Amino acid sequence: MIETDKLEILTAGAKYDVSCSSSGSRRKNFSGGLGNGAASGICHSFTPDGRCISLLKILMSNDCLFDCEYCPNRRSADVRRASLTPDEICELVINFYKRNYIEGLFLSSAVFDTPDKTMELLYETVLKLRKVYLFNGYIHLKGIPHADETLVMRAARLVDRMSYNIELPSESSLKLLAPQKTKQSLLLPMKNLKYAITYDKENKIRKNRALPAGQTTQMIIGASPETDGQILKLSEALYGNMNLRRVYYSSYVPVVQSSKLPATGAGLLREHRLYQADWLLRFYGFTVDEICPENQNLSSEYDPKCAWALRNMHLFPVEINRAPLEVLLRVPGIGAKSAYKITEARRFAPLNFEQLEKMRVVLKRAKYFITCKGKFYGTDNISQVKTALLTNGNGTEQLSLFSAPEISLFALSGNQ
Amino acid sequence: MKIFITDNTSKCFFTAVYYAFAEKNCLITSDSALQPTFDDEIKLVETDEEKVARVIKKINSYDNSAAESINLILKSGDARKEQTAFEFIKKLIEYKRPIGTAYNLTEVVLFNELIYKITGEIHRIKGLLRFTECADGTLYAPYSPDNDITENLMPHFSARLGGQKFIIHDLKRKKAGICNGAEWIIYFADQAEIKLSENQKIFETLWKKYYKTINIEFRPHEKQMKNSMPVRYWKFLPEKHDL
Repeated sequence: MIETDKLEILTAGAKYDVSCSSSGSRRKNFSGGLGNGAASGICHSFTPDGRCISLLKILMSNDCLFDCEYCPNRRSADVRRASLTPDEICELVINFYKRNYIEGLFLSSAVFDTPDKTMELLYETVLKLRKVYLFNGYIHLKGIPHADETLVMRAARLVDRMSYNIELPSESSLKLLAPQKTKQSLLLPMKNLKYAITYDKENKIRKNRALPAGQTTQMIIGASPETDGQILKLSEALYGNMNLRRVYYSSYVPVVQSSKLPATGAGLLREHRLYQADWLLRFYGFTVDEICPENQNLSSEYDPKCAWALRNMHLFPVEINRAPLEVLLRVPGIGAKSAYKITEARRFAPLNFEQLEKMRVVLKRAKYFITCKGKFYGTDNISQVKTALLTNGNGTEQLSLFSAPEISLFALSGNQ
Repeated sequence: MKIFITDNTSKCFFTAVYYAFAEKNCLITSDSALQPTFDDEIKLVETDEEKVARVIKKINSYDNSAAESINLILKSGDARKEQTAFEFIKKLIEYKRPIGTAYNLTEVVLFNELIYKITGEIHRIKGLLRFTECADGTLYAPYSPDNDITENLMPHFSARLGGQKFIIHDLKRKKAGICNGAEWIIYFADQAEIKLSENQKIFETLWKKYYKTINIEFRPHEKQMKNSMPVRYWKFLPEKHDL
């Protein structure tokens, strides 16, 4: 049985990995087996930092040979070290899963021996979990850079999702802060996995399909000098070329003292804005060039959609009862769900302002950009619109995003 | 006003719809706490299979997925559920075509909101239900949901837990879903006496430790936590009780 101390060390080492989603896989259970995949993903608990627990996020070992500047488990750090055997991990997963504590396993590891040896042990763990413990729940496996390609491909046929963290948004920053990792060692396996997924899809392979829930990645924001524009360009390229499901952003936190790293954190607001922009790229049909020029940062005062709309006032107002879906999606205050509701409801009758309110459209933002049956409820005065969006929409809302007042200050400035 | 009182079953509700449809001003409810005024006319509805079939046939002729939504809404814990469903049926018969997406109608918006609350809770409980392992290996999960959703949870857990025996016990409605590893039934169950397995305490402690460690302390956001995991569900979550 695993000891509480070990669990504590290895969980603490894994907790800065943001990814915890369990969606995208429909893996079936068979008789005698345990677990299945829920396509929508299921959150099993929420911690006081507001994040969900869906997977048992754990390191196999935190005894690392790499010396990445930002990492609390790097070789030169003086921290308690621990490792788990494949069986200990399997037993923990099965028992947590049975009690409905978790939706699956998120397994990562420090590189404790050669990258191949590490990958081999990770592979052994997921193999055991699937074939000996007959576990059919969700597994997210972290890829080890520089590890053998065949091993990675074999593991990919057992798990639901894999991820290689590109860690930093540019090659030069990676060289400076994570000297043992190279751009190639991260992007090449990502590309190979993408080919495997595409091959299975095109050949309609159903059994032991590689990565049914695709790939993701993560990068640290604010530990290096890249602008939001550069970061979003990179994300756009990753979504386009690597078919990633998600890019996670993790705002830099100074847990490690180093001359190469900034002394202050990047702030949660910057991370929040990047996620908002990311959503606009994936679900709202925006391109990076529209949201943020290459060498600039996103506005801290307005969310990216508001900022875009304010720069493009000549496109508004749009008529709710006639505008196509793509245009509705670009109106601040109308999200993907509301836009769908509007297009469905207006087939029955033309909509008015009150009906939009009942459909939960955020009218305090949307009213400046729409007309209902030709009637406009906003104002032509652009500076008035700007202040209204700032104080009604963002000013108060952004502050309430973080519980305590000192946190909101921290969030805005990045200073602790 | 005429008030039709049903016995909280869907068949009785459909019979009530048959009678109520001809009335101008009426109310269908199964709410026992209802306080009628002196000019209200109370009518206790008795299930009539023939009338049920006629109402369902009529509904299906306009929208063959509506009956399923109506059966779902009748599981709601909201006292207005019958009336909301009745208003929806009236609109459906008026429009003579599927109106599930007619968000311009108040009746449809209210109907969808109730549906959303039920499906939302089903999804939430799929994550928040906690099983304890009994000495004989059976998994037992007590809970008290807002809506009567035990029947909707059983297929999910029976597919997921494979051949495992398990019980989901709704303490509020004194109802239990019991699965023997292959088939499941719903049973009346007041109280359950269980003997825990040896491992139960150990894994519960490990889970509490995990919950405590995975939290990033300098990013507190309690409001978000409580929005996603309302306090009324905490009673049955081991991680929300101290180590």
